[in-house]
Amino acid sequence: MAREVAESCVDAVVIEMVSAFCDRFYSAEPELAARRIEAIGYQVGHQLVERYTVDCPRFTDHLEAIKFICKDFWSELFKKQIDNLKTNHRGTFVLQDNMFRWITRISPSPVPESKNESPTPSEDNQLAQATSMHLYFPCGIIRGALTNLGIPCAVSADISHRPACK
Amino acid sequence: MIVCVAVVGHQNNPLYLQSFTEADDALKLHHIVHCSLDVIEERVNNPKKSGPTLNETFLGLLYPTENYKVYGYLTNTKVKFILVTTDLEVRDADVRSFFRRFHAAYVDAVSNPFHVPGKKINSKTFAARVSSIVKTFGSGAA
Repeated sequence: MAREVAESCVDAVVIEMVSAFCDRFYSAEPELAARRIEAIGYQVGHQLVERYTVDCPRFTDHLEAIKFICKDFWSELFKKQIDNLKTNHRGTFVLQDNMFRWITRISPSPVPESKNESPTPSEDNQLAQATSMHLYFPCGIIRGALTNLGIPCAVSADISHRPACK
Repeated sequence: MIVCVAVVGHQNNPLYLQSFTEADDALKLHHIVHCSLDVIEERVNNPKKSGPTLNETFLGLLYPTENYKVYGYLTNTKVKFILVTTDLEVRDADVRSFFRRFHAAYVDAVSNPFHVPGKKINSKTFAARVSSIVKTFGSGAA
């Protein structure tokens, strides 16, 4: 009995959660806010992976589990699969998603009209920090999912290109 | 007649144990479940490369004791479901469908945000669902 929720509701909940933790609960300590958000993601990932592995055959090794995350798990969460998977065969995996759904709508705050140069480095920095706060939740989800599959790990996220128009 | 069902976590910690007989041999059932954990470990660590059973979640008949049969099922998250039954003729398809429904009930119980992973499952809804699955076991066969 699968029930569905509008994607805008999920977006709204995640955005509000991040801003609540960053601006209201732990406004003075962004590292604590980041850790709480990641912990929430951990529990969500833990429980989600139970649900999504119900009909799958058992994984024989780490690579199978990572492939599951890239394909089935990612498409359940973000309606698409991972675009690129790289590994160094020594325990590090790089998952690349070219259009990560949850940050496609992030934009810099509007610049007042007097400045018409390109954004200064400090504004760029602030935007990068705000975006990275939003990435702690999905990192937590992936870490929870992998830990429940029996693979203790650490997950970190990196943005190479911010959403932009040409 | 299903005598007992059990859910065991990935560190072999018991998460749920329910017996369905009036007799007072709960301890004996605990012991049978505990012994079957060893059989599961052995099956998982030494896979029979010949059979197609390498990746299956359903482990099949673990071992028959004097009057009980024990069936096992292993999920991807290393949680084990164990079923102890006294039926003499049990169809494979019945047990598989039992475990499928049991897995669905387990997933719903674990998705409860108030459930702490690793602790016992205290949900009454889960207990009620398990009882109803147990009641309809085998009656669909006839």
